[in-house]
Amino acid sequence: MPLELLLGLVVGGIAAIAALLHWTGNSQRRVMMPEDARAEWHRHFPDDIIRAVTVSRDGHAALIETETGPGLLWAMGADTVGRHLLDYDLIEHPRGLHVVFHDYTAPRATLHLTEDERRGWRILTERP
Amino acid sequence: MTDQLTYPDVVQWAVPFFIAAILAELCWILIKQRGGRYETRDAVTSLVMGAGNVASGILLGFIAYGFFMALWRITPLDLGTSVWVVLLCFVLDDLRYYWVHRMGHRVRWVWASHVNHHSSQHYNLTTALRQTWTGTFTFMMVVRAPLILLGFHPAMVLFVGGLNLIYQFWIHTEAIGRMPRWFEAVMNTPSHHRAHHGRNARYLDCNYAGVLIVWDKLFGTFVPEQDHDRVDYGLVHNIGTFNPIRVAFHEWIGVFRDVTRPGLSLRQRLAYAFAPPGYSHDGSRDTSETIKAKHLARHPEDRDTPGFAGLPEGQTGDIRVKSGL
Repeated sequence: MPLELLLGLVVGGIAAIAALLHWTGNSQRRVMMPEDARAEWHRHFPDDIIRAVTVSRDGHAALIETETGPGLLWAMGADTVGRHLLDYDLIEHPRGLHVVFHDYTAPRATLHLTEDERRGWRILTERP
Repeated sequence: MTDQLTYPDVVQWAVPFFIAAILAELCWILIKQRGGRYETRDAVTSLVMGAGNVASGILLGFIAYGFFMALWRITPLDLGTSVWVVLLCFVLDDLRYYWVHRMGHRVRWVWASHVNHHSSQHYNLTTALRQTWTGTFTFMMVVRAPLILLGFHPAMVLFVGGLNLIYQFWIHTEAIGRMPRWFEAVMNTPSHHRAHHGRNARYLDCNYAGVLIVWDKLFGTFVPEQDHDRVDYGLVHNIGTFNPIRVAFHEWIGVFRDVTRPGLSLRQRLAYAFAPPGYSHDGSRDTSETIKAKHLARHPEDRDTPGFAGLPEGQTGDIRVKSGL
């Protein structure tokens, strides 16, 4: 197949599929209730014993307190991803907090939090 | 001996079919409201990975082809180009695919290349195209050497390999439940391959087949999809990025960081590169075996069910120690 034709097909195909997916509502981020967050954390970390779950007001993130320390669960598209809060930086963000993980597979998560939530989550993440 | 033999690059010619089939699957899901899930960024990442795979083939394909042609010049055998030879080549190459794929899950060096194919939490036709950019660096082309030395022309070997990949495209779907029983018995199907993509303990390291599922049945790695244990797609530790660069290279970076850690013996460094994924020198990570053992400790009722058959009793107490070299 001529390279120009292949390139056109690939670029056009990706653009068409992306546009169709977006227009049909497939770009929504996952919204969680506390019980969803608990189930999702256990899906990612089945050995963990969860003490408490705090879901952000927008439902896109949850702070999970486990027996071994805090963890963060956040929406990744329609799904979730979780990380224990072990090696990370917490940076103030105009809309909440920015978590920078020292992890190439999950570099950062931006949390949209109210002012009250931001203060509360800072305290919870810093708790030993 | 024939040096000049050409077959069409079937994977490139299949690109329009891939696009049409993805659009058809998406329309089916939207209309029927069942049969799978799509997410925009996940799908775009998969498609970009597929495009990158084609590009890496164009840029780096000469390395494998040069190696194959060198072998072709030294072999005294030439089986010709009859239909029966092509068919035999297809079956033997499918056996080759089974073992390369199995190594892709059991040798971290090869897993570093293959991991991206499993990095989506979705399972749809775009997942089929989430292919590696770094396959050349695994040197798994050597597994094709016996075929060429036996007298199969390199162009034919690559042709049947392309057909094998095209076959595997349609099995990446939840829109098809199960095929007729005779077909499920012999061929790789959406059901068998869904199990292969599962991160559930039951489905780890099973169903490596490309086209013929008989290889898994022959070599003891077949696990049928269980209706009561719905497949959870993705990685044991799911990645938190849609960035194709990170998807393509994250495990290679993990290998590099582990191998260069201070204070390790040479044996431990080699194990970080070539032992099964999940190896750690201090037993702080989980391999497939320890994940299965931990699952059985939580769910003893699953013992000796598909995916857990043959695991030794009472393993859970020392599983972390056993995982360390």
